[in-house]
Amino acid sequence: MTKDEELPSLIKAISDHEVAGFDGVEDPHTSLSGTEAVEIEDVREMHSVSISMPPSPLEHKTKRVLFDDDSTNLAPPPAAPTTMFYSQPIPKASALHEAITNGKSAPLPPPPRVNKLRDKRYDSFKTWSGKLERQLTNLRGRPREREPHRVEMGSVPVDRYFDALEGPELDVLRPSEEILLPEDKLWPFLLRFPVSSFGICLGVSSQAIMWKTISSTESTRFLHISPHINQVFWFISIALMVAVAAIYALKLVFYWEAVRREYHHPIRVNFFFAPWIALLFLAMGVPPSINKTLPKPLWYVLMTPIFCLEVKIYGQWMSGGQRRLSKVANPCNHLSVVGNFVGALLGASMGIKEGPIFFFAIGLAHYTVLFVTLYQRLPTNETLPKELHPVFFLFVAAPSVASMAWAKMVGSFDFGSRIAYFIAMFLYLSLAIRVNFFRGIRFSLAWWAYTFPMTGAAIATIRYSSAVDNAVTKTFAVILCLVATLIVAALLVTTVVHAFILGDLFPNDMAIAISERRPKSSTTRRWYHRRAASSDAAVDQYLKFSDAKDVEVVETQPAGP
Amino acid sequence: MEIQSSEKSCKDVALTVLTRTHAGYFRIALSLGWQALLWKILLKDSRMAFPLLTILWSFSLSILLLLSLLYLLRCIFFFDMIKDEFSHHVGVNYLFAPWISWLLILESAPFVTPSHASFVVLWWVLAVPVVVLDVKIYGQWFTKGKRFLTAVANPSSHLSVVGNLVGARAASKMGWREVSVFLFSLGMVHYLVLFVTLYQRFSGGDLLPVVLRPVLFLFFAAPSAASLAWYSISGRFDTGSKMMFFLSLFLFTSLICRPCLFKKAMRKFNIAWWAYSYPITILALASTRYAQEVNDGVAHAIRLFLLALSVLVIFGLLLFTAFHPNLLLDPTPSPTHHPTTFPTYLSAN
Repeated sequence: MTKDEELPSLIKAISDHEVAGFDGVEDPHTSLSGTEAVEIEDVREMHSVSISMPPSPLEHKTKRVLFDDDSTNLAPPPAAPTTMFYSQPIPKASALHEAITNGKSAPLPPPPRVNKLRDKRYDSFKTWSGKLERQLTNLRGRPREREPHRVEMGSVPVDRYFDALEGPELDVLRPSEEILLPEDKLWPFLLRFPVSSFGICLGVSSQAIMWKTISSTESTRFLHISPHINQVFWFISIALMVAVAAIYALKLVFYWEAVRREYHHPIRVNFFFAPWIALLFLAMGVPPSINKTLPKPLWYVLMTPIFCLEVKIYGQWMSGGQRRLSKVANPCNHLSVVGNFVGALLGASMGIKEGPIFFFAIGLAHYTVLFVTLYQRLPTNETLPKELHPVFFLFVAAPSVASMAWAKMVGSFDFGSRIAYFIAMFLYLSLAIRVNFFRGIRFSLAWWAYTFPMTGAAIATIRYSSAVDNAVTKTFAVILCLVATLIVAALLVTTVVHAFILGDLFPNDMAIAISERRPKSSTTRRWYHRRAASSDAAVDQYLKFSDAKDVEVVETQPAGP
Repeated sequence: MEIQSSEKSCKDVALTVLTRTHAGYFRIALSLGWQALLWKILLKDSRMAFPLLTILWSFSLSILLLLSLLYLLRCIFFFDMIKDEFSHHVGVNYLFAPWISWLLILESAPFVTPSHASFVVLWWVLAVPVVVLDVKIYGQWFTKGKRFLTAVANPSSHLSVVGNLVGARAASKMGWREVSVFLFSLGMVHYLVLFVTLYQRFSGGDLLPVVLRPVLFLFFAAPSAASLAWYSISGRFDTGSKMMFFLSLFLFTSLICRPCLFKKAMRKFNIAWWAYSYPITILALASTRYAQEVNDGVAHAIRLFLLALSVLVIFGLLLFTAFHPNLLLDPTPSPTHHPTTFPTYLSAN
């Protein structure tokens, strides 16, 4: 690195317009020279991989940093006119254009997924996950002089997730933990795309259903809501669903290990129900102008994945040693249960008789178990957030959808539905009153999933108001719909802000990168973190047990995690 | 000398048999009883099947008589063993098994109708011990110091629930509606509590030894029995019964898809294997009622599958038991065979 170059900042935040995978996902032109590659890329802006590698893009200096196993590349290349830089921050678009217009022979390097290496790595992504993991651990930007940190990607036990992570969504790394991927770099987009992104589909598609219900129910006809709103929302949700599903499918293909780790994560596993529930919502929210009645086999097709997932997950609750419910119960488990009720509702509205009863029964049984467990807030339960968090709104989801499902199955909003509905309203009220406690919480994309309960409660209220038709219920219905709409709008604004202005809509997903074993130096630290919430006496007591290394940790930690 | 030794060996055999016959052996009687009931219901309209039913019923009756006799002798001569069984968290539930078996034999008798006086008398004779046991055990669940629910809950506790439900069903057949609803609600309330507790699976450790894993099948025996009981009470297989049946079907699927759970228990034949049979039979019975109500292809397919499975399982088990006479007669009990020892209790090796 020459002095006359300016050092790039360590972290460059470049706005992300690139939705498709980055870094090795679709780069068929890996054999292109730098210039051409740049031309193709110039229409897309990408996240930069922030590293501390020397840039010198505009010089002929060839500085190779290799992160491929192939050691033959270590020989310094000839000073070719085409310089290849393997680890570079991707410059901003303007810089790209500038570089191209400059017409230099090697204006800019291709993005760090570089040609020769890209080829090999691209191939190995498609092979067994073992090889894939080796590539995962050959971290981009890590200089090749070091031995690759070979990590055996076995199955991570659920205890590790509890030990290594904290926070209401169990996605914040505890300070003492190490992760397998570099912390200071921005990982590939696909790795940062969590399964909880399907929450957006849930949130938006439930809005579509709400607007459809408002415009078609008699008791709310006085609002004169046009059915077009429903159509708009429905098309938006279709688009979102396709986009999110496509990206996640890519993640499935290219980062299978990451998906597996998400599946083993005690909170994220529930979001694997989200795509199917979102599909059910889409089927329910179909604008009447497009299709009045859906074919019955569609219901069976949509419910099959939910059924298979349920057999797996509920069986784990019942028999799985480490994943038993008393240990892993958390409000997100409602997502596993609410799918049953949504399926029952859809099936009943399609005229199917037996299937909805089946899923309603299973949902009811498991909902009872979950409800009791969560209400107990067992001391063995580590995942319940100590502070209030929007995830608690999921409590409202199951009873409100169950009440609607029962009403459809029985034909009228009878006592069973009303009981469920009132339970939902009570829970909603308890949470709404405590809205002050919801402040100061870090935003995450999963919040979209927490909006559908409010929308569901609004829809249930509309149904209730059509059964019990008076001014009070109508007003209540209108208020709840307004609240749901406002929340979704606020969430949309927040999402946009985070996406474009703050640029941290998809932060590094720490939850999937935890190591399988505790870092050795932190055995005593772990004990510390467990107890740090308690009094100073405990801290003092701990200090007697800590070794010299950890004393520093203790002193610099304010009040513990 | 020879006569003495043969006498001695006779006495030894008798002793071994008595010491080894614990309440878990009534699983055989339970399975046979439920099979008899199943076939009685299936073939009740067919005159020609009467001999078959009688044979099956007599066979079940004889096995039950034999087991009851043995257990009675055990009560007389080895009462402390019975007390040990009672204080064991798994064994105590099997004390319901004799009463359930007798109730089933009573119900499945080919020539007795529920309105018959003898039926009523016998029902009372059999149901009262069930209620007494209920009061004792369920009361312990929420009052007693050491034996409260979270400490003792295990899948075999479902047997107490099944006992109540069978009693309820028989009572409603007799026309005694209030008693029937009483027993039904008793069973269901405790089923609810048990269901939640077992699903939570407190980390009090795995209360069920690996050998007893077949008892997990009781998870779906209870809701099927509930569906049958509600069917008897309400008169038709309505939504409540359907929901219980579906829950049971789901739990059955869930367990079937996890063969690894049972791998360790399947290594050696023991009496716990009989625990596979009667839950499937109960489910088959419930599916028969369901298929009668909902007359479509899927329901009949499920019913046939479950019927076939139940017959296969019981035949298999009968064969296995026939080829393992040392189940009862092994003169050398294993060193760990003391009834209160965890691993071998309620399995018979």
